[in-house]
Amino acid sequence: MSSRVLIVDDSLTVRMDLAESFNAAGLETVICASAAEARKALAEDRFALMILDILLPDADGIEFLEKIRATRAADDMAVMLLSTESEVRDRVRGLTTGADEFIGKPYDTTYLVARARELLRGQHMTVAAVEATILVIDDSPTFREGLKEALEQASYRVFTAITGEEGLRVAAEVRPDAVIVDGVLPGIDGPTVIRRIRLDAALRGLPCLLLTASDDDGAELHALDAGADAFVRKGEDIAIVLARLAAMLRSAGAQTGDRSTASLQAPKKVLTVDDSETYLQELAGALRSDGYEVVLARCGEEALELLAVQPVDCILLDVMMPGIGGQETCRRVKSVPTMRDIPVIMLTALEDREAMIQGLGAGADDYIAKSSDFEVLRARVLAQIRRKQFEDENRLIREKLLRRELEAMEARAARELAEARAALVGELEQKNKELEAFSYSVSHDLRAPLRSIDGFSQALLEDHAGALDPTGQNYLRRVRTAAQRMGELIDDLLQLSRVGRATLQRAHIDLSALGRTVATALQRISPRETVRVSIADGLVAEGDAGLLRVVLENILGNAWKFTTNTIDAAIELGVAAKDDSLVYFVRDNGAGFDMTYADKLFVPFQRLHTEAEFPGTGIGLATVQRIIERHGGRVWAEGEVGKGAVFYWTLSGGSVGVAI
Amino acid sequence: MIQKGRTILLVEDNDDDVELTRRAFSRGNLINELIVVRDGQEALDYLFATGAYADRDAASLPHVVLLDLNLPKINGLEVLRRIRSDETTKRLPVVVLTTSKEEKDIFGSYDLGANSYVRKPVDFSQFTESVQQLGLYWLVLNEQASPSGWTS
Repeated sequence: MSSRVLIVDDSLTVRMDLAESFNAAGLETVICASAAEARKALAEDRFALMILDILLPDADGIEFLEKIRATRAADDMAVMLLSTESEVRDRVRGLTTGADEFIGKPYDTTYLVARARELLRGQHMTVAAVEATILVIDDSPTFREGLKEALEQASYRVFTAITGEEGLRVAAEVRPDAVIVDGVLPGIDGPTVIRRIRLDAALRGLPCLLLTASDDDGAELHALDAGADAFVRKGEDIAIVLARLAAMLRSAGAQTGDRSTASLQAPKKVLTVDDSETYLQELAGALRSDGYEVVLARCGEEALELLAVQPVDCILLDVMMPGIGGQETCRRVKSVPTMRDIPVIMLTALEDREAMIQGLGAGADDYIAKSSDFEVLRARVLAQIRRKQFEDENRLIREKLLRRELEAMEARAARELAEARAALVGELEQKNKELEAFSYSVSHDLRAPLRSIDGFSQALLEDHAGALDPTGQNYLRRVRTAAQRMGELIDDLLQLSRVGRATLQRAHIDLSALGRTVATALQRISPRETVRVSIADGLVAEGDAGLLRVVLENILGNAWKFTTNTIDAAIELGVAAKDDSLVYFVRDNGAGFDMTYADKLFVPFQRLHTEAEFPGTGIGLATVQRIIERHGGRVWAEGEVGKGAVFYWTLSGGSVGVAI
Repeated sequence: MIQKGRTILLVEDNDDDVELTRRAFSRGNLINELIVVRDGQEALDYLFATGAYADRDAASLPHVVLLDLNLPKINGLEVLRRIRSDETTKRLPVVVLTTSKEEKDIFGSYDLGANSYVRKPVDFSQFTESVQQLGLYWLVLNEQASPSGWTS
């Protein structure tokens, strides 16, 4: 990517002046006098920036720009428009066409180059700084040039400034790696320059070396007082300056300023709004001499139109104007979120208390009488810009702090959540272990006494029947029945609890084959002569084989049990269409049940028949429901007393498989 | 059918279960000698002729071991592990006879080399049947890999 600048202007003076300024700033330029030449240059090469005059001999600059932007051939190129026309309409037209900046003629070269650098920095295309960049601020040409030469020999890149004010501007533009500043300067002195650098958020980390007079005994004190990182007496050898500089750069390390923060010394744009052309030009002249880019507007409407496309740093607003007037303009500016932070200074024609109050009431930040000295006005503008700068910095710092606090809070919340979750999981695991230990103990310790009760009851019946009358023998049989029933209850309860805890091991299941196996087992355990069992072919399912077997054992087992007293008993396992989807079912023509109690079927220990009618523990269907739910499915039943029952179920949210 | 002299080692801490097992054997006409030990340590002492059984002939091993899992001192799975890791007893038929139906017990037993796993049912008739079938199978039908010195 090239960092070259294309200058397109028909005025030879402008071309030469700009080329010289850019070259001095270390940027390579290509100059063109017409749109045709520019088109050719753009076709042959890529540029980081184009300075484009609006009035070209062979084209309108904005139309030319429009065509360039339309081809997208150079859409990453920054564009600055130049124009003698200071009409707001042109400005707005230019900026909406795709220009990044609009600068009026006569332009301030320093400002123009500074803005160009800002635009280039925005593109992340700063001139590659291989070596450190040093800014030298000294009013003595001999010393300045001598130091520059020495520094360049030591392969530093050097920028120079004659006054403190200029030095600060250059520092903001080029963001040097270090500053060497003379203590005594014509305007603000060296210590003041350093103090201002330290006050600027973007520059405050900049290493500063102060040159002090040879006869100054308190040199070190003064230098440190100002915030300098090092000092050298002017009488000393230039090699000492170099050594100090090298040491300073080393210790500064990576502490470069925050490049994203706009510098207080960076180029500022002031919008002046007044219907008096004379006053406007006078004002613009005074502000330009301070290095501001001045944008002129003749009425409030123009000002608002312009502000919509280009932000400025300060607005000077005449109160008395045709159209919406100063106060309304101010009110509108202050009502737009993106604009309301721009300082507005109201200009009043007379020392009018009323106008002042109205102006401030409309949201102005300051007011000034037009009769005042321009010196006062410039000072007020600077004060407002500085105030806004500090507010911006403060806001940035506050936002940063707030963000950091928020992040810390989020991190804390996340950590607490994780800890809480870990604690819960731990507790759950602990409870699970306890439950397992409990069921294990139940399965052993509760069953052992039952075995004794049953075993010795039978031993009594077998070996000592003579000692008991028939009633006694009947009682003993009842004891045995109860013990055996309790054994079944314990087994079923254990199964219900295991079903809830066991890990699901999903596999492809041949449900038809599983159904046949279960039916065969039923026939073996409680043999029946007349029962028709029909199991559909090709039933498949995704699920846990062991658990699905428990489901079939219970549902087919129930069908088997409740058809005991049925003539022509029939049991069927298959799939059916139900509510537009396929479900598994087991149908029987047995005892059935009253639909009133349909919701009680799956409640543990809830039975719809007496033990004498049909034995059971009332846990089987609760177990079935838990298994089906763990498979993401649903189970329900339909029935009618004396006609039979149908149990339906789905697995995995309703997908039912039939092998083709 | 009756195989005299073939001993059975019953490792069981519950008196009632011992009595019921004994009864089941006698009702099944299995009149073999039933040696009862009450915990895992005693079982190992008997098998390896140590401790209280130091006087016993270590070469004379029972025909089958009926092993409960829930035992005082040394549990059943550990007893099984030691039986299988000793050269003299590694082929000894061991039938786990327990109340547990927990997977970890069933898998654990087979993993350690149990020959059979039988759950004691509550119903005594079923229990009697199970024990009789066990005795019939291990004492009569099953051919042992009997090393020299086994009583037969």
